[in-house]
Amino acid sequence: MDVTSELANYAAANSTTVLNRATPIITDAGLLAAFDNTPVDPEEYRANLNQHLLALTLTSTQSLITSLFGLPTKSTSSGKLTILPTPETILPREKPLPKPKPLTKWERFAKEKGISHKRKEKDVWDEELQDWVPRWGKGSKNRQGEEQWLHEVKAGDEADQDPAKTAKSERKARIAKNEKQQAGNIAAAARSSASALAGTSSTKGELSQEDKKSLRERRKDELQRSMLISKTSTASLGKYDEKIEGEPKVKGVKRKFEPTSTKDYKGEKESQLDVLNKLEKGVGKVKKSKKGSAGEEGGLNVRKAVRFQGKVDRANGGGGGGGGGAAGKKGKRR
Amino acid sequence: MSMLRTIKPKNARVKRALDKREPQLVENEKTAIFVRGQSTSDIVRNVMKDLYALKRPNAINFSRKNDIHPFEDTSSLEFFANKNDSSLFVTGLHSKKRPNNLVFTRMFDGRVLDMIELGVDDFRGMDEFDSPKSSVGVRPLMVFHSDLFDVHPKYQAIKSHLLDFYNGHALTEIPLIGGIEHVISITAGPLLNSEDNLEDEKNLPKIHFRVYTLKLISSGNSGFKIPKIQLTEMGPSIDLSIRRIQEPDEEMLKLSNKRPKLDKSKIESGLGKKKKNIETDNMGDKIGKLHLEKQDLSKMQGRKMKGLKIRPNQKLTSVNDIVIDE
Repeated sequence: MDVTSELANYAAANSTTVLNRATPIITDAGLLAAFDNTPVDPEEYRANLNQHLLALTLTSTQSLITSLFGLPTKSTSSGKLTILPTPETILPREKPLPKPKPLTKWERFAKEKGISHKRKEKDVWDEELQDWVPRWGKGSKNRQGEEQWLHEVKAGDEADQDPAKTAKSERKARIAKNEKQQAGNIAAAARSSASALAGTSSTKGELSQEDKKSLRERRKDELQRSMLISKTSTASLGKYDEKIEGEPKVKGVKRKFEPTSTKDYKGEKESQLDVLNKLEKGVGKVKKSKKGSAGEEGGLNVRKAVRFQGKVDRANGGGGGGGGGAAGKKGKRR
Repeated sequence: MSMLRTIKPKNARVKRALDKREPQLVENEKTAIFVRGQSTSDIVRNVMKDLYALKRPNAINFSRKNDIHPFEDTSSLEFFANKNDSSLFVTGLHSKKRPNNLVFTRMFDGRVLDMIELGVDDFRGMDEFDSPKSSVGVRPLMVFHSDLFDVHPKYQAIKSHLLDFYNGHALTEIPLIGGIEHVISITAGPLLNSEDNLEDEKNLPKIHFRVYTLKLISSGNSGFKIPKIQLTEMGPSIDLSIRRIQEPDEEMLKLSNKRPKLDKSKIESGLGKKKKNIETDNMGDKIGKLHLEKQDLSKMQGRKMKGLKIRPNQKLTSVNDIVIDE
């Protein structure tokens, strides 16, 4: 029985001695990690692997523990906690950074107008009851018209109309309208993300399902547009063409106007001043006179002035000249 | 992903659960899935069992065989990742060409980022070591030895992968006494022959994966001194050789390495996560809201009468004082 090797193993397991390292061990306390960049000694590695690994681990762990015990601490009810710094090693995230949520149509409008969000209380004050009633749900202000036991019939109302039913259908219509607007917002958000994707079309092949879907939508839009163009390319501008099933509706171009009031009046002021400047300089006029601008001198079209003067003189001198001119025109038209 | 239907939340609980799966500013810990291929060996299964034990509780073990070959087709891995909202995979395989094969896969945004394939050359399981084991959920220390982890691209990939696997989620605070139990040691061997070339795939030195439990021995009676440590091997002890490595797509890596810009105050107050029931009023005082359970009226003290008096031997357990502070 040779126990020397076992004794050696035992001694190694209970040792706290560390190896000498030429280059210092790098520690990343944020990730509880240490990196010993000294090459592994081949002699030791070949001779007794596990003992050498233990010695290496002991060395690096000791330096990691040293750096961890040097960190600031805070005491809590459950004991002392060491505050870890942010990690230095960059490891990939699991998912991309969250994108800001696209604004809804209302949110965009509110932002433009500077309307701040007002929190709606769950309950509203009822003057008649002198009590708070819920805004929606059972017994709410929202359903008052449907749930009240007596309805006032105004003069001129049809005899068979049911006020409760009308109130309900109106409420349902409001809900439907809101849902439609929500769907529109979602569609708009998808469209905008698609156009953002078109800007960075460098991702090849590996597209997520959502990206693929928005790409498909875009392609579909493109095809429909080109189909509409080709349909109007006939002599009748597509008036007598046969309709295709599921043909997209022709949508005209909507004119867009500047908002009547903006959040800040800077832009408005500028645009007004622009108009004034244009008037002062006579930008439009100069452009017009450029057609026959050969005789232009200091804003005066000399050639035109001479021509005009000549006309006036002839008119003053005798009617014959004017009549002749008119006759000439007639001849041209024929 | 294509096989998964998009779920429209029907109630608030489902919505919360789905919102948790959305990209977060400060991410949760990555979950690992351990899945076997069509044929596995005993060794591979045991290795996976031990790696799973170390990764718990952020790990899911698939007990059935799956026809998965990560280097040929990643679609099923992507499916599993999206279904289980996890981004780390260990696939165990065994074939004549690549015996005792382990494939580590890392995902980003539901797609494969990179993969490393390692062969198990030698293995001793956790139960072969007669020593105390670390408790579940305790964060290990990780140490890497060898210059190869600093310079060689393949070893860099392995370092990044394994570090991400066990310690990727950064903690903000940890109790040093009682919060550290074990250390994972990863060592790359040296070049055994001086004429060996690192360019040749066959000559790549092995990687030794060891796990030790750690004992802190305070050198004096003062608590401020840095303690000495003692290590005991707890297993598993795995010797690995490098096989194929699929490097990450550069664009994807760039995206995945992006870090959010967080205010310092935000970091201090919960790392960008919304703190519930805590607010600060206009005077700058912190106000906490406590939700107490319904009072147990059956134990309320009513009118005292001699007949209703509680005898000392049938005393009720004392009601704990509830301390509410700001």
